[in-house]
Amino acid sequence: MGTDVILFVLRLTAGVLLMVWLGALFVVMWRDYRSAVQEAQASRRTYGQLIGLREIDGSYLRTGQIYPLLSLTSIGRAPTNTITVDDNFASNEHAFVALRNGQWWLEDRRSRNGTTLNGMMVKQPIVITDGDVIGIGQLRFQLELDR
Amino acid sequence: MISAVHFDTEASSRTMTERVLLLLAGMFILVSLVALSVARGEPFSDNWSAFFVWIVCAVGGSLIMQRWLPRHDPLLFPLTMFLSGWGVIMIDRLAPVFADRQMLWLVVSVVSLLAVAIFPYGLRWLRTYRYLLLVGGLALLVSTIVFGSNPSGQIGAPRLWLNIGIGFFQPSEALKIILVAFLASYLAEQYPALRAVGTDHARMWLSPRIYGPVLLMWGLCVVVLVWQRDLGTAILFFIVFITLLYIASGYTWILITGAALVALAGIIAYNQFSVVQLRVDIWFNPWPEADGRAFQIVQSLLAFAAGGVFGQGIGQGSPGYIPVVHSDFMFAAVAEEFGQLGSVVVIASIAMIVVRGLHTAIRQQRRAFNALLAVGLSMLIATQSLLIMGGVLKLMPLTGVTLPFLSYGGSSLLMSFVMIGLLLRLSAEEL
Repeated sequence: MGTDVILFVLRLTAGVLLMVWLGALFVVMWRDYRSAVQEAQASRRTYGQLIGLREIDGSYLRTGQIYPLLSLTSIGRAPTNTITVDDNFASNEHAFVALRNGQWWLEDRRSRNGTTLNGMMVKQPIVITDGDVIGIGQLRFQLELDR
Repeated sequence: MISAVHFDTEASSRTMTERVLLLLAGMFILVSLVALSVARGEPFSDNWSAFFVWIVCAVGGSLIMQRWLPRHDPLLFPLTMFLSGWGVIMIDRLAPVFADRQMLWLVVSVVSLLAVAIFPYGLRWLRTYRYLLLVGGLALLVSTIVFGSNPSGQIGAPRLWLNIGIGFFQPSEALKIILVAFLASYLAEQYPALRAVGTDHARMWLSPRIYGPVLLMWGLCVVVLVWQRDLGTAILFFIVFITLLYIASGYTWILITGAALVALAGIIAYNQFSVVQLRVDIWFNPWPEADGRAFQIVQSLLAFAAGGVFGQGIGQGSPGYIPVVHSDFMFAAVAEEFGQLGSVVVIASIAMIVVRGLHTAIRQQRRAFNALLAVGLSMLIATQSLLIMGGVLKLMPLTGVTLPFLSYGGSSLLMSFVMIGLLLRLSAEEL
């Protein structure tokens, strides 16, 4: 009688584990699907603007150009960039502005003439905030985030 | 390019997923082993070594891949280990004589999987040396016609194996991967032509680019069928090939023509070969010969009935009535001892492997070879599983292929693991 009870309990456990296994597979797939959907939406969503500026005698003037800010915005002369700039001092693939873990990062892509942040050279990826001015060649962009 | 912080959180959540799934799989295997020991009435039998070998394989594989292949798909490895661990226990239960050998093959398979997944030039070599590999694979196949043997030693049984001293190896298993890799790289080369916009479709119809490989494959399948009487492998090659060609080109007529060719080949084979005739006849109506030639399939159906929804419990059913249950009819044994629940879990797990493979293919769609290889390997696993599960359930004529991961068979297990290794490698490739 003892063996029967043990075998019954083991059968029950095995059955429950099989169902948990199915459930775990379902949860993993569901989370994967959700994150894929979010990724697809995030790549299209805009988070603010980059406002084109021109520096004249130490003060900034708006050029009137406003670019949407995506979760990954690339700047450079090549037409494949999110923001294509026409500037003799800009490289084909010049810089990234990217959202990572809730912070905005500016990253130079080994451009020939470098990228500046508020007038200072960017050597490695750096956190930027609302109002910062990014310099690409002779062009300036001010970061304006949506609230 | 993308900062390390970002990937670290993602990689650790992948690792967590993999570990949780492996833990669940391990718990199930442990419970099944305990139940098997209790049912046999020998609580401390030597089958405990199976569990420890499985644990070492699972933990070792997971750790090695976390270190050397951090961006791999988190589902493929636990699913593979779950199914193969379950398979080893079922073999221990059904044919204890073969259990140790299957364990050895499992270790070899896991090592091969890790080697294929981690070695960085594997995919490139598959492309570069495709003709060499194809010729080698075909030579192996031809060599079975000359030197082939059958482990069971029966006269007249299909001689599909090569005796390599330490065991028997089935070259058609290796040929499966080689053929898929060859076709993927061939079709990837033809991709621009196949996908060109505004080409004359009537001319594409007749282009040797398309019918050339069709004829080659069809001829190969006929050779396999006629000389080897290996119905399952022939139909498997052909279905996977048609699917690959369809996915590469996008022409629906390929599927229709393929189905017609399969039907035609089936009709001819039915009239020519007694084996095929028997299989179709007992599929159509097994009951008049339930004690004779249809004994296996009828016993399989009875096993499904005996299993019910929750099964008899491992070691408590009687799947032994089905002849050679540990290889082709493993699915029936699982259904009897774990019931409909167990069958559903097997189907879901295999389907999940296929889904992850196709998911990899979609992610890699900008690299034609990678995408087509992932599709081909997934379709191999899917088609083979469908053929044997459908055959065991009498939904279609029985074709003698193994159920991937679960069935007894060294070369089958090894090659299934190599396929998963390739899929893992593909899933970790850069986009």
